[in-house]
Amino acid sequence: MTLRAKRFALYAALVLTSLMMLVPLGWTLSTSFKHPEDVFAPGSGLIPNPFTSQAYRDVLGLLPFGRYFLNSVFVTAVVVGLNVVFDSAAAYAFAKLRFRGSSFLFGLLLVTLMIPMQVNLIPLYRMMVWVHSIVPWLGADTLSGIIAPSAIQVFGIFLMRQFFVSIPDSLIEAARLDGAGEFTIVRRIILPISLPGLATLTIFTFLASWNDFLWPLIVSSSDASRTLPVGLALLSRKNTVNWPDTMAGAVITAIPMILIFIVLQRRFVEGLTAGSVKDVS
Amino acid sequence: MVWDYYGSSTPLKPAIAAFTKVHPEITVKYEAFDYETMQDKFSVAVSSNAAPDLATLDMTWIPTYAAKGVLADVSALSGGQLNGAPIESKYSKGALDAMTFDGHLITALYDFDAYALYYRSDIMKKKGITVPTNWTELATASKQMAEDSNGDGKPDRYALQVLPDTFHFAQLLFQNGGSLLDKNNTTAVFNDPAGVAALDYMKSLLDGGGGLYWGDSQGDSTGLPGIKDDRIGMFLNGPYMMGVLHDGDAGQSGKWAVAPAPFAKQPGSYLGGTGLSIPSNAKNPSAAWELTQFLLQPAQQQLVYTSAGAAPATTEGLAQPALAQPDPFLGGQVAFPVFRDALATATPYPYVASWPDIDKALTDAVTAALLGKSTSKEALDQAAQTVDSALAG
Amino acid sequence: MAGYLLVAPALLATGAFFLIPMVLSLVWSFTKYNGIAPPTWVGLSNYTDLLSDPAFRHASANTATYAVITMTVGPALGLGSALLLNNQIKGRAFFRAVYFLPVTTSLVVVATIWKMLLNDEGLLNRLLAVFGLPGHDWLSDPSTSLLSVSAASVWQGFGFETVVFLAALQLVPRELHEAASVDGAGAIRRFWHITLPALRPTFVFVYVVGIIGAFQVFDQVFVMTQGGPISSTTTVVYYLVLRFRALDLGHASATAYLLVVVLASASAAQLRLGRRTS
Repeated sequence: MTLRAKRFALYAALVLTSLMMLVPLGWTLSTSFKHPEDVFAPGSGLIPNPFTSQAYRDVLGLLPFGRYFLNSVFVTAVVVGLNVVFDSAAAYAFAKLRFRGSSFLFGLLLVTLMIPMQVNLIPLYRMMVWVHSIVPWLGADTLSGIIAPSAIQVFGIFLMRQFFVSIPDSLIEAARLDGAGEFTIVRRIILPISLPGLATLTIFTFLASWNDFLWPLIVSSSDASRTLPVGLALLSRKNTVNWPDTMAGAVITAIPMILIFIVLQRRFVEGLTAGSVKDVS
Repeated sequence: MVWDYYGSSTPLKPAIAAFTKVHPEITVKYEAFDYETMQDKFSVAVSSNAAPDLATLDMTWIPTYAAKGVLADVSALSGGQLNGAPIESKYSKGALDAMTFDGHLITALYDFDAYALYYRSDIMKKKGITVPTNWTELATASKQMAEDSNGDGKPDRYALQVLPDTFHFAQLLFQNGGSLLDKNNTTAVFNDPAGVAALDYMKSLLDGGGGLYWGDSQGDSTGLPGIKDDRIGMFLNGPYMMGVLHDGDAGQSGKWAVAPAPFAKQPGSYLGGTGLSIPSNAKNPSAAWELTQFLLQPAQQQLVYTSAGAAPATTEGLAQPALAQPDPFLGGQVAFPVFRDALATATPYPYVASWPDIDKALTDAVTAALLGKSTSKEALDQAAQTVDSALAG
Repeated sequence: MAGYLLVAPALLATGAFFLIPMVLSLVWSFTKYNGIAPPTWVGLSNYTDLLSDPAFRHASANTATYAVITMTVGPALGLGSALLLNNQIKGRAFFRAVYFLPVTTSLVVVATIWKMLLNDEGLLNRLLAVFGLPGHDWLSDPSTSLLSVSAASVWQGFGFETVVFLAALQLVPRELHEAASVDGAGAIRRFWHITLPALRPTFVFVYVVGIIGAFQVFDQVFVMTQGGPISSTTTVVYYLVLRFRALDLGHASATAYLLVVVLASASAAQLRLGRRTS
């Protein structure tokens, strides 16, 4: 195959798969600008006709929309912050430090990923109710109750551990031979190479926290502690689904995640140039 | 504390505002939830001793809660009186049956669901079809109504919607003189000849070319998309569909009408709706009962129809003037008496803890028979086996 | 010592919010319990009930099928698109965002969209008709329903694998590729001998996390098919949720622990495999 043909095949593959990704999302976007009665109307295509932003007014006018949004921002910011620090710390220990029982402890953490959340709901909620009865501003129906179970996530530890494992030991040993301390090694060598990994961790903890539904739903019982996805569910009515409202909610919820992704994905490229993996032999 | 699943068009919120004026000594903390997730939220809360004092619960969830002792005994709380009169005088017999478990009232029906026949009166008139009153006429009418313009053997206009679910099978079963479980709720009896014939009849509606199979994949169990694009010309459903049609299908105003569901041996329907329920571990049961009584007063019951488009459950509520208005959407028909009669002959689902399993087994059986994967007899026998072991477990 | 200090916060948090609840539900799995009345001890009977319940066995088979489909197609698409995007191409940032977009959308919304696309009158059938192919009611037919749910899941999820692989690809030393190129190694050989071995820890992560996620699939099923038609998409967690809704916490917990046993052995095997070959 000539270089030209290869290029052509590459772009053809990219464009085709992109279309597959975009068409269903285009439908979401177009539905969010339709009147509810037009959603299934015969001949209603991808372009909303007539066009209306009523669904967005419904969503933004949902009374404590600002409250839900701020709650989500707070919860997500705290969750991401805690995870970036503590997940990477634990992951680094599991990947690069030797201590007794490390593989047992790591295995124990992994097992907690395997239990379906639905089974833990009742014990966890009881714990939150109990905490709340002792300290009224913690536990059930507070933001701390939403944050607690996702403050440090095994998923993130595992992700970062596998990432750190990929960093050649030779790099670290070379620095040790040069007399660098553990802290210097982390700051000068590990951190710069880990930027793509940390960006990935940030994106996924952000995503998981921002979209999380089941646990926030169970633990919150009033507007003061509802996050955006839980609040948006209240737009629905018994027996009927307002599709434009649902889709407008989905679009609005997705925007911050897309922004975060666009900002952070640069890290992948910068991580590449900053990556000081020079000599691994 | 009150938990409510009605969503944005709730009748509870305005009613509670009125209640706090009459009862300033009772502070009501109202929280809205979404219908889809309320069941899980409520289950977790009651089992963590953090239950609300009053909750709107779907009648299909109540069997499990009642059988597991989650709900307070309303008979004891009320002393048998509702707003100063015996509770029995406020409801029809079917409604009272639906509220009773093990000889005690465990919920107060707020809105009800029982099925009647919705049909396109314009098409029926044009084709000179008379409104069907029994199974044979329904089968004939559906064949005459439906059109298959592309010749693929499936109707694509004005068909009778056939939903493969327990609600619709149960209606045919009851109409044919059958029932779901035996008197003691210990064994399945829906696979007796009455049940098999009911399912065979359901299948014959599809085979006759007048029925349109409406599976879960259609995206909307109300059938609204198919109603709007004329695929559906008749369907069996509850009074809440009037609200759905008003809101979502204004273009077909004047073209629909409602009639009693055609039957075989006797009128019948599943009986569902919403129960105002007080958990057994509620902190303020008597205040909750006070609010319940208020919500069941005729003026408040009328809100069920005016805000949520559903049917109020008390006899007085059904007699409210707002419900006796001719409905322009239904060509000026006064439709509520049809549903009131349906309620009078409807049967609630049995009060057993394993109702979710029974529902699933029946849905599977009905689907299998309608898709031609097995005969009605085989499908129902297999479901009966599953149900019997669920009841024993 | 530094090791213990670094992992201590993680152990504390996980211990409090996951291990303690897990111990409780483990105890419940040996009892008859409805969440309100005190539990009564029944020994292993919940487990033996499950293993002899045809519905549970059916759900297990469905879950295994789902896991096999999604875990072969998903990571392959993820790695493929990561390799595509790792090239010097125009609009790389744009394409990367496009693959990632579905991941940002909640599972419930994705499942809803796919339900629309796949139904009788949906976009897919209209597209097939353009090419003169017969349409199909994908979700109503028990023989295609599980496949349809899997397709929706892959569509939503492979962007996750793309991002993980893309980040890991940045760690593959470019110099190695260049050196190998000079030595005359072709693209395929370089991929096989340099890229793949370097990605091994990432593969372990993607498969361990992916299989755990696949065995816990619920949201898509709940929205798209409600476990039907004829139980063809009832998965183990769907079965568990039905037990939970029937307030049968004993069987629900036992179901969860059977799942944990299967997943723990699968993950241990994968981690060992990852270590041995590296």
